[in-house]
Amino acid sequence: MSKKISVSKAIREGLLEEMRRDDKMFIMGEDMAVMGNVFAITTGFLDEFGPNRVIDTPISEEGFMGMAVGAAMRGMHPVVELMYDDFVTECADPLLNQAAKLKYMSGGQCSIPLVLRMPMGSGRRNAGQHSQSLEGMICHFPGLKVVAPCSAADAKGLIKSAIRDPDPVVVFEHKLLYARKEEIPEDEDYLVPIGKASVKREGRDLTIITWSREVNFSMEAAEKLAAEGIDVEVLDLRTLVPIDWEAIKASVAKTHNVLIVSEEVKRGSYAGEISAEISEELFDELDAPVERLCGLNIVSPFSPVLEDQNFPHPDDIVKAVKRVLNK
Amino acid sequence: MAFEVLMPQLGLTMEEGTVSQWIKHEGDTVKAGDVILEITTDKLTNEVASEHDGVLLKIVAQEGEDIPVKGLLAYIGQPGEAVGGAPAAAAAPAAPAAEAAPAAAPAAAAPAPAAAANGARIRISPLARKTAAKLGVNYTGIAGTGPSGRIVLKDILAAADSQKSAPAAAAPAAAAAAPAPKAGSLELMEGDTVVKLAGMRKVVSQRMWASHNEIPPVTQNIKVDVTELMKFRKMLLAETGKKYSVNDLVLKATAKCLRQHPEMLVSLDGDQIIQRAHVNLGMAVALDAGLIVPVIRDADKLSLDALSAAAKDLATRAKENKLGADEYKGSTFTVSNLGMFGIETFTPIINQPDAAILGVCAIHDELDMDDEGKLFKKQVMRLSCTLDHRLLDGSVVAKFEMDLRDLLEKPMSILL
Amino acid sequence: MNLYRTMVRVRAFEEHAAECFTKGMLAGNIHLSIGQEAAAAGAFAAIRPEDYFTSTHRGHGHAVARGMDPKLCMAELFGKKTGYCKGKGGSMHIADMKQANHLGANGIVGAGQLISAGSALASKIMGDKSVTVGCFGDSSTNEGSFHESLNMAATWKLPVVWFIENNCYGVSTEIHRVTNTPDLATRAAAYDVPFAVVDGSDATAVYEAMEKALDHARSGKGPYVVEAKVYRYQGHYCGDPAVYRPKEYMENALANDCIEKMGKRLTALGVKDEELEEIKQAAQQEMDEAVKFADESPYPDPAEVTDDMYTADNERCVAR
Repeated sequence: MSKKISVSKAIREGLLEEMRRDDKMFIMGEDMAVMGNVFAITTGFLDEFGPNRVIDTPISEEGFMGMAVGAAMRGMHPVVELMYDDFVTECADPLLNQAAKLKYMSGGQCSIPLVLRMPMGSGRRNAGQHSQSLEGMICHFPGLKVVAPCSAADAKGLIKSAIRDPDPVVVFEHKLLYARKEEIPEDEDYLVPIGKASVKREGRDLTIITWSREVNFSMEAAEKLAAEGIDVEVLDLRTLVPIDWEAIKASVAKTHNVLIVSEEVKRGSYAGEISAEISEELFDELDAPVERLCGLNIVSPFSPVLEDQNFPHPDDIVKAVKRVLNK
Repeated sequence: MAFEVLMPQLGLTMEEGTVSQWIKHEGDTVKAGDVILEITTDKLTNEVASEHDGVLLKIVAQEGEDIPVKGLLAYIGQPGEAVGGAPAAAAAPAAPAAEAAPAAAPAAAAPAPAAAANGARIRISPLARKTAAKLGVNYTGIAGTGPSGRIVLKDILAAADSQKSAPAAAAPAAAAAAPAPKAGSLELMEGDTVVKLAGMRKVVSQRMWASHNEIPPVTQNIKVDVTELMKFRKMLLAETGKKYSVNDLVLKATAKCLRQHPEMLVSLDGDQIIQRAHVNLGMAVALDAGLIVPVIRDADKLSLDALSAAAKDLATRAKENKLGADEYKGSTFTVSNLGMFGIETFTPIINQPDAAILGVCAIHDELDMDDEGKLFKKQVMRLSCTLDHRLLDGSVVAKFEMDLRDLLEKPMSILL
Repeated sequence: MNLYRTMVRVRAFEEHAAECFTKGMLAGNIHLSIGQEAAAAGAFAAIRPEDYFTSTHRGHGHAVARGMDPKLCMAELFGKKTGYCKGKGGSMHIADMKQANHLGANGIVGAGQLISAGSALASKIMGDKSVTVGCFGDSSTNEGSFHESLNMAATWKLPVVWFIENNCYGVSTEIHRVTNTPDLATRAAAYDVPFAVVDGSDATAVYEAMEKALDHARSGKGPYVVEAKVYRYQGHYCGDPAVYRPKEYMENALANDCIEKMGKRLTALGVKDEELEEIKQAAQQEMDEAVKFADESPYPDPAEVTDDMYTADNERCVAR
């Protein structure tokens, strides 16, 4: 059985089911309780779970992020939302120096079962401080797990797995996916395991490794390329840390050509990390250099005309695939 | 790490060799220098010695198999050591695509010819290089279809394929784009028989085709009065008791003349011209199976006696298939003599990478008239010199030919 | 007597640590709390076993005062496998979350404010009766975390007590050169949080103020801030000559030495010198043994270096 719901609704379902299942879980963030979130993800939660478990915070990102870490050390399961991933710099220390590190630094005495939801991504004409894709920065920090779903089913399945995971999990949610309606299983306990990629499309000629919204763009590009006789495999990583290396290895061993597509600033991107890893470990499988198709090394621009230059569109992906294959 | 035993390159033109016999067998202990197998090429039979101490772990190329230069023959290593598990050269080309090679697979030292013929680095993808090693494909000279001409997997697979079905087209050394005329396109007529183009014939075929297609040739004939030369030859016989052939004298004169005309001794290498320092005379020797060109090194420095002996020795050994690999490498100019067959003129094809070749024709009598109108008989011989017009011009070569003629017409000067 | 014993033990621990540092037996830096012993002793006398606390880079005294094992503390300073954090944290990160409810010393100034407030939030949500005490220094009250989390803790009436040990120096910078608040605890008033300022060389005064603060928090009235004025005898870290301080600072400090003051009071109350000496000897012996234990303990197995990064799927997460 399946039903068709939007990605934001799927996230809402995931949170709701886990809130009912797990009384250690609570939600905190800006505008999460009374308003029920700007994307209506938590409407009604306050009524059902009360102000202790659905908490409107002041605009104090460092403060509430740090408090979530403290609560998690005590065995709570906080789910924190940052209104935009751009604000992660406001709470960099609690996330990157505390949540990511305290387990190791205490010799394994604690777990930090915390989930940080971070809406991200370009395309909403929000300019440089509300449009970033900071996967590279977040994945840099050992101690965090990182997921970036693209579909409604994955969004629900991964948020539920993230809440149940004993480690801090950062969930990148692309804002332009929220309204996308997709089939998802009816199953109340639908889980997508963390660390498992998904082959969205099988192909022989080249592997596109991607995640989040660029998965959909890559699928569009793959269809266009198929019409020209180029058979592309699309690998949706879904989880960035831990990366599903087996899936990458299997796909690269099949196609021998790799394009990595992400919305990130190209310099220092996670796409670059994946590229390096493939070049190091799968060198002999490669029939062409691994190419990254990312954003430019610029601040995300405001004007639509400019912003559209700054993240890969399906046609850009088509061109990049042909470039790698020299077709 | 096990060492690979690879098909050696035993001459400039060698592209593949046949495993004729394994002297050592799997499991045998070998020492560096031990002969482990015999190979035959289009030109000769050779022994391959181990470069390492160890055990012959695995024979990859079986007796009778044709393996390209640098193709894998066997592994030598320590007892029990795992080898790359690379399939033999005949393995299906689809193999690499099907297997998900573990990242940790020991990359058995890839036999990568790092330099192209012109010394530049060959652009080839890692996968193509690995597959080439596995399939024993020599990728030198393959035109890549990847970005910037990079050789990619499908180029190697294509080369491996055509190597199997149409060996003539496999990795042509001199002419990158040599087309392989498909076998079976000609209609057979009654009584026709078909023999596979192979061995020396195949090499001659490829080399001549490549030379002919690549070089804009000009052949210039010059007539030489060899009356004096023939007398001189008789005189030498009378004085020294040694019988020198016309060819010996022509070789000696040519060597001397070339030393005076270094502009003839050039080779074209991509976008550069190599000025050759040595007068290394190639000497075309006809064999039943084809043609071979042993080389007399520094011919200009040899006495007539030594030159004659060298020519005789090389020709004899060429006919006995006993030339060493180095003995038909490195010519800078070639002489081809068809005089003994009565040929009056011909258009020799240049032996690449030389810039010219001298054809020596038959000697015959001619009547001539002196200044007083008196007829007399003389002996003449034509020289047919083909030049590579990319490097040499007609007038330059004409001067060389005239000087050579003068030498031959005043034979004492050959020796002076 | 207990307060006195605790102070003596803390000082003995710190002096032993300093000696080991000077001899090159320790890895990295240590920050000593010699001179501040009364604050630790007084505060932890008031804190109950079920309560939680956070500490700072200058946190050895808190651990010893809490009754944690000096052997395991010292082993952690040595970077030994037997340390509280298996040698992965070191001097600035001693923690004992399971037994002592020590949520950890922290190398980031102000981090403990957030963690203690968060722990208090957990207590509130779960409805337990524990209070969380955040111990931190004067300079961290200038961090945003102080104001952000105090504001939230006050708004949500969280059971948290903040204990400021004001030794007047942030590394080399005298607090009032960079701060326009005479008493740091008065900042609590901005968030309608009660506060107290006490003489940190008087262990009894600290105890009494903390007792009151903990009662307040435990009764559901929200946070409370206590500021104890203390002296830091050493420089910022062990070996820092502290040339930036006027000599009057140390003159005042030594004149107000908390252990000596407490000793005199006890003598006045009839305690014999031998008894005090006995306490000192016992502490010396205890810390000698701690050093011996730490010194003789094995280092961690290098193969353990990637352990404990993640609770689930650790191997894959650290592989790439």
